[in-house]
Amino acid sequence: MSPALTTVLLSAAFAAYLGATLLYLGHLKWRRPGLAQAALVTVSSGLALQTTVLLARWLAAGYLPVTNLFSTLFFFSWALAACYLYFELRYRIRATGLFVLFLNLLLLGAALPRDPAIKPLIASLDTPLFTLHIICSFVGYAFFAMAFSLGVLYLLQQRLGTDLFPELPLLRKLNEEAIFLGFVLFTLCMIFGAIWAFVAWGYWFSWNIKSVWSFIVWLFYAGMCHAKFIKRWQGTGYAWLSIAGFGVVLFTYLGIGLLLSSNHPLD
Amino acid sequence: MPTRLWNLLCNLKLAIWLASVATVLTMAGSIVMIKYPKTFGSIDQMILADWFARFGQARPGLSWWLWLVAGAVLLLGLNTLCCFFDWLLRIRARWRKSGEYLIHLGFILCLGAFVWGSLAGSRSEGNAIRVGESLPLAGLLPGHALRLDTFEPVFVGGQFSDMRSTLTLLRDGRELRTEVIRLNHPLTEGDLIVLPATFAQEAEGFRCDSPQGSIELRPGSVLRLPDGRVLRVLRFFADVRRGGDGRIYPVGDEVNNPAFELELLHPQDGPWRGWYLLREGLPAPLTAAGIQLQPREPLLRAISVLTINRDPGAELAKIGGILMGLGVALALLSFYAKRRRGDRPELD
Ligand code: HEM
Repeated sequence: MSPALTTVLLSAAFAAYLGATLLYLGHLKWRRPGLAQAALVTVSSGLALQTTVLLARWLAAGYLPVTNLFSTLFFFSWALAACYLYFELRYRIRATGLFVLFLNLLLLGAALPRDPAIKPLIASLDTPLFTLHIICSFVGYAFFAMAFSLGVLYLLQQRLGTDLFPELPLLRKLNEEAIFLGFVLFTLCMIFGAIWAFVAWGYWFSWNIKSVWSFIVWLFYAGMCHAKFIKRWQGTGYAWLSIAGFGVVLFTYLGIGLLLSSNHPLD
Repeated sequence: MPTRLWNLLCNLKLAIWLASVATVLTMAGSIVMIKYPKTFGSIDQMILADWFARFGQARPGLSWWLWLVAGAVLLLGLNTLCCFFDWLLRIRARWRKSGEYLIHLGFILCLGAFVWGSLAGSRSEGNAIRVGESLPLAGLLPGHALRLDTFEPVFVGGQFSDMRSTLTLLRDGRELRTEVIRLNHPLTEGDLIVLPATFAQEAEGFRCDSPQGSIELRPGSVLRLPDGRVLRVLRFFADVRRGGDGRIYPVGDEVNNPAFELELLHPQDGPWRGWYLLREGLPAPLTAAGIQLQPREPLLRAISVLTINRDPGAELAKIGGILMGLGVALALLSFYAKRRRGDRPELD
């Protein structure tokens, strides 16, 4: 797939997510179920476009292209849309998705101006461990982003008490589920990463800054998997933890790559 | 008292506290690590015990947080272990949590493996080995050696991409097995792991034109002349300097002022031995003997630079990782089943 076609299709996906955001906003204002239904269809078409681009790029490259900032932002955004759709289809969360969609617009919006060209895979990344490590990492991040959005919404709903958003117990349940699923994937990401580090460097835990922060992310969410069993941390506490956790995720994903140097270069 | 201690060690809130403390301390520590690369830059190049002995103890003001992280994580490990045993004791009633507790067991094993490797492992970088040479592994795997049979750098589109070293592992001089190692494909034997790190090239002699045609001269080469004389190459240096005392001193590995030490033997005359500095031309006794040599290009030999590590904990970590992976898969499968059953213990 040519870079130009990639940009066109991704711009169309961006437009779809933007359209869905507007439809959900309309749904909030006019409370028409049809608008929410239309938003769901629009998000699905955005995801379908993104999936097409992802598969075409994967086929063309011969490897999952997630080796620079463009492609990780794109993959993150794809995973987030898929993750949202999972929750929407399962629980009909409707406008709850607004926050996720905002986030997705930011991710895809940041990817679009970047160069989508696919470069040959360097030998050090030429291993299925890399692909598995990255897939699990970004799908895990997507669930953490979902939990972040649900956390924000939980706090909002506490103030607003509106029937437009799900009730607090459901939001809490969804938040806990997102954290658990994110933790499951991130654990797999850490396992694949450790095996890869062992065959690449001869040791499976590195004190390299990005690896250390991945461990922090993992430990943080491991802690969260337990905090839900403690009454004081349920609901509001969990919402705040989800927000803080996503801050840690963002720093690990973007902060380190942009502010510091590490052996996990992005661009 | 023992019951209270046991209850404390099985306490979930303690686990959350310890995980939080370890998280916050590691966050702070990571900033210290970046700010002080002189102290922390080599932390991955050696096992943690060696790093503490060489750098950590010398800079207690910078490394104290690492002790605290280690303390918090080890306590968390103990906490997890007790929690795991507590579950084992009640497994009949709580078998549905098998996935969760496999995660816990996996974590304990990985932690144990890390401690083991950090105390009893070893890391060694920059092991240069030339094609045809053997490298004894005395301190790492007694009685064993590695021989480099071939080396080939791989270039794709003119850019360096990979390097393939054919290594033979020897025990007491006997060949155990031969493997090609490249990026992401190390050689492992027991707790030993051998990886390609980088490569270098070294001049080992020179190609020269002579009346007999193009010849390769390197230490050990013999040139038989028509009149029965024999020219032998004793040594070669890529870069030499002539000292004030007139003697020749090697100064480096870059081809700059290359020199051969040669010996000319003749059945009747006594032998001549001396230096041929390629930039200066053949020494008089050789030209007098009718020898003609025109240096053309250096003969290069590849050096594979290997990382050789030992991690006695690696196997245990692998088992821990597999258990953790199985655990999350099982926990994932049972998560929804438990939700349907309304199984959400609120422990507080
Ligand atoms: C870093 C270490 C640990 C990790 C990675 C870890 C991971 C997990 C995970 C992923 C779950 C599943 C949560 C869920 O169902 O959503 C869990 C549950 C649990 N963990 Fe841990 N844990 C750790 C340490 C501990 C410790 C130290 C204790 C004991 C004090 C503990 C006690 C529990 C308990 C009681 C559950 C709930 C099981 C249930 O009834 O569903 N964990 N843990």
